[in-house]
Amino acid sequence: MAALPRRIIKETQRLMQEPVPGISAVPSETNARYFHVIVTGPEDSPFEGGLFKLELFLPEDYPMSAPKVRFITKIYHPNIDRLGRICLDILKDKWSPALQIRTVLLSIQALLSAPNPDDPLANDVAELWKVNESEAIRNAKEWTRRYAMDN
Amino acid sequence: MSVTVDERVTDEVEALEAILMDDVVIKRVGDVPDIIETVVHPSTGDDIDQQFVCVTLEVKLTPGYPDTSPEVTLRNPRGLDDELLATINSQIREKLNDCLGQPVVFELIELIRENLTESNLPSGQCVICLYGFTEGDVFIKTQCYHHFHSHCLASHLIAGKKYYQEELEKLPNWQQMQAPPYQQTCPVCRCPVSCDVETLNTAPPPVDSITAPPFCLTDELKDLQLKMATLLAEQVAKGGVVGMGDTGPPPLTITTPADNDDEATNGTSSGSQDVNKVDATRNGSSSNDNSSPGSPSSRPVYHGPYRGFNRRGKPARRGRSAR
Ligand SMILES: [Zn+2]
Ligand SMILES: [Zn+2]
Repeated sequence: MAALPRRIIKETQRLMQEPVPGISAVPSETNARYFHVIVTGPEDSPFEGGLFKLELFLPEDYPMSAPKVRFITKIYHPNIDRLGRICLDILKDKWSPALQIRTVLLSIQALLSAPNPDDPLANDVAELWKVNESEAIRNAKEWTRRYAMDN
Repeated sequence: MSVTVDERVTDEVEALEAILMDDVVIKRVGDVPDIIETVVHPSTGDDIDQQFVCVTLEVKLTPGYPDTSPEVTLRNPRGLDDELLATINSQIREKLNDCLGQPVVFELIELIRENLTESNLPSGQCVICLYGFTEGDVFIKTQCYHHFHSHCLASHLIAGKKYYQEELEKLPNWQQMQAPPYQQTCPVCRCPVSCDVETLNTAPPPVDSITAPPFCLTDELKDLQLKMATLLAEQVAKGGVVGMGDTGPPPLTITTPADNDDEATNGTSSGSQDVNKVDATRNGSSSNDNSSPGSPSSRPVYHGPYRGFNRRGKPARRGRSAR
């Protein structure tokens, strides 16, 4: 593999030196392009109290193309599917090299605070979120408690 | 007229107005020139887009000028640091001494311009590589006043066009015909830009990025890696990881770029249906049989991306063939 681009080194250093509250991202010991990520569930969201594990991979031509990110911890969310894949425009056609690992993770954290059932990836979850929001939120809290909390 | 103006001053002011035209302001007291003001830019030919610094020169003429020195002030510096301003100011004082007895404003403008031309670098960093602009760097200012290394912007524009074409080819023919043509955009503000990619691409990579130290794993990092591994092992143990309880072939974890070619990891609204279709075929005909929302599966049979993680403490790297 080619040498790690300096931008990735810089981003990694900054993630360590100035961590984003509620988010930690650590490169894998075997592959500096592969990051282990934990996003804490935002306050006043059904995900509050949860520690959500994600994986983030910087492709060969990063930052010219978006990082690949997905949830590892199960999460009940209309924009995240059963395999943890995330529906977020900046990860696809709205990507810009001006964005960084930290901005991507902040956007994902924001997505937890503001689920958008009108732009779903998990169709069945989105459906329930639209027709019976309180039940959907109950499910989200239950999944958070069951899978993402220390007990 | 009770006051006669020194002929040398009259000539100088006339020349300034003739040459600089609108770019110079002569403030007069009565008929007597009092303050001469002009904004000095680096010399970049007529290419205003390549001017990243400037400063306003104000010359207040003294009654004895040019046999006595005028009062010179630099105002509104843009893109200049204090150190450079101090250097220019001391050069100005020298020049004023050397030129006693003769008009000095043209000389001052030239002196400042030379300094600006040498330091014609934007402040801040290039958002594409996260390095600053240094002596020897080749960079560009877009129409929207954002700065990039030419090398970096070229990479962005080339990637943008490639992405556009890939997306276009996914569309049916009739939609391809109707699609808007590719438009270059600024990475920062997404404003349309128009750049000659060929030329930009001949520029060398940013100087600082070449000389930066290589990556090294700190103890702090190793510590964090350990914590991550522990947390993940816990979640795996209680069945809280995606892919657990699924009976189909395991989803792939992302560890190589190739994994992403056919694994549409980042779904969007437009792509989500296709993504779901892929799932359905992978997991057999009934896609929702074992993952109905609201009822987390109770079978902690783990087939997910992190098989082997808790054992070796790191992600298992696997090929496409699911075992
Ligand atoms: Zn750059
Ligand atoms: Zn711009």
